Amino acid sequence: MITGFAGLTYKKFEGSTFQLLSDVVYNAMEMASVNSNDIDGLFFTMLSGTFDGKANIHFPSFQIPAFLGIKPRYIDIVDYGGPSALTMVYRAEKLVNSGEIDTALCIVGGKGSFLRENKVTADSVDKFYNISLTPFDEFFRVYEDMNPVTDYALVAKRHQKLFGTTDEQRAMIAVNQRKNAINNEKSLYKSPLSVKDVISSRLVSDPLRLLEIVYPVDGFHAFIVSKHQRNSNLRPLKIHFYGEAHWAEMPPELPDIVYTPTIESSKGVSLEKIDAFELYDSFTITVLLEIEDIGLTEKGKGGKFVEEKDTTFKGEIPINTGGGSLNVGQPAFMSGGVILEEALSQLNGMAKGHQVEGANRVLVNGIGGWNRGHAVTMVLGE
Amino acid sequence: MFDEIKKEYINLMNNEKLPYIKCKSCGNVFFYPRDYCPKCNSKNLEVKVSKGDGKVFSITKFQGKKGDTYYGIVEMDEGFRIYSNIKNSLEIGDKVTVEFIEENGRKIPIFKGLSGT
Repeated sequence: MITGFAGLTYKKFEGSTFQLLSDVVYNAMEMASVNSNDIDGLFFTMLSGTFDGKANIHFPSFQIPAFLGIKPRYIDIVDYGGPSALTMVYRAEKLVNSGEIDTALCIVGGKGSFLRENKVTADSVDKFYNISLTPFDEFFRVYEDMNPVTDYALVAKRHQKLFGTTDEQRAMIAVNQRKNAINNEKSLYKSPLSVKDVISSRLVSDPLRLLEIVYPVDGFHAFIVSKHQRNSNLRPLKIHFYGEAHWAEMPPELPDIVYTPTIESSKGVSLEKIDAFELYDSFTITVLLEIEDIGLTEKGKGGKFVEEKDTTFKGEIPINTGGGSLNVGQPAFMSGGVILEEALSQLNGMAKGHQVEGANRVLVNGIGGWNRGHAVTMVLGE
Repeated sequence: MFDEIKKEYINLMNNEKLPYIKCKSCGNVFFYPRDYCPKCNSKNLEVKVSKGDGKVFSITKFQGKKGDTYYGIVEMDEGFRIYSNIKNSLEIGDKVTVEFIEENGRKIPIFKGLSGT
């Protein structure tokens, strides 16, 4: 069970990445009532360039345990971006249940500001460090793009063409998430937002506008999964559903680009009795795709869905109840920690100012990897 | 083998021809060079030359280094799709044809709209 969690996000953190990491980890350990001697499983993910600007810290599986003073018996690196945080918790839970380990520490995050200041995005880090992402790079990365924004813009454009989805409908997602963010102390953006504000913000990559795009921040999230509840006051939550799917094709080779692997990772999930949905929100279009792919509505009807349903935390189908990463920010270009932390806050009645009344079951959906290659769907509840 | 295919691609492109691969076992067509068919894993592949005509699968505009820049996915008449820059403002479904530009001493395909667009 998850007995502790913590998250800290900053627009820009002035200290070292390791200092920020240890602040978060020790907060999570305090909640779980464990110390570094109790940790025997370590799970982490990291993105090149988000540890003090170094392309890769040398052997992170040495550096992280050394710095935190932990001696794991088991180390696992899960590196498919957004959903990695969910997968780490799931795998940790399995290992704890099997008796292989007692207490695991799961870490996700880093400093995005170094890359941002150098105008590097998660998808262009290869150009910055002169490394290659795929064997086909020389046949398509010679073009001028602005990935990942341009890639998601292609999806949004095609979604518009195929289904008549409007800019205003996508904007509604940002507007409702902002309503949720206004009273969330973790939120970076708290001023009210209108559809007009969103659609008159700067066009970054047609049709996506500035207020539909996540802001990369510095931050970490840490989760403790343990056999022992000790003095932790958290509810003994279980993972009621877990599915993961990986579509490694480059988007031009997919049958169509308006689907995500969520359609596969969520296969068989029951949407009844779900009190809140925490959906990966790198862009407004990402949320729209997940709404359809999970099955909240049929493919192509996501626009109408967000127009008609109240998706605020007080509404009939609460989505991204804390404002999502569009408002909290995206630590190290991976938002899995943000949505998982929000789910745990909701389930433990800790979501001050944006609590969904009687939240007992929360669905979390992560999307990640370059060009939406990975999806993980998870339902948490007691 | 993979390196040979890549070399053939580069040669063809430098001669302003758009290559693609057809799997002789299952008929799958694809652009990004591989020496096994990603669909049926056959090694029985053939590098072919596209007629160069296709249509816009999706397109976006952003402010690039030289102003308005168009980037998209193009679906070729032979059935494969490729990422590319596109020369002008087009809609999804508009017909395009391939052209070649020089980039870092090599020719690469880009697309322009056909007639009136």
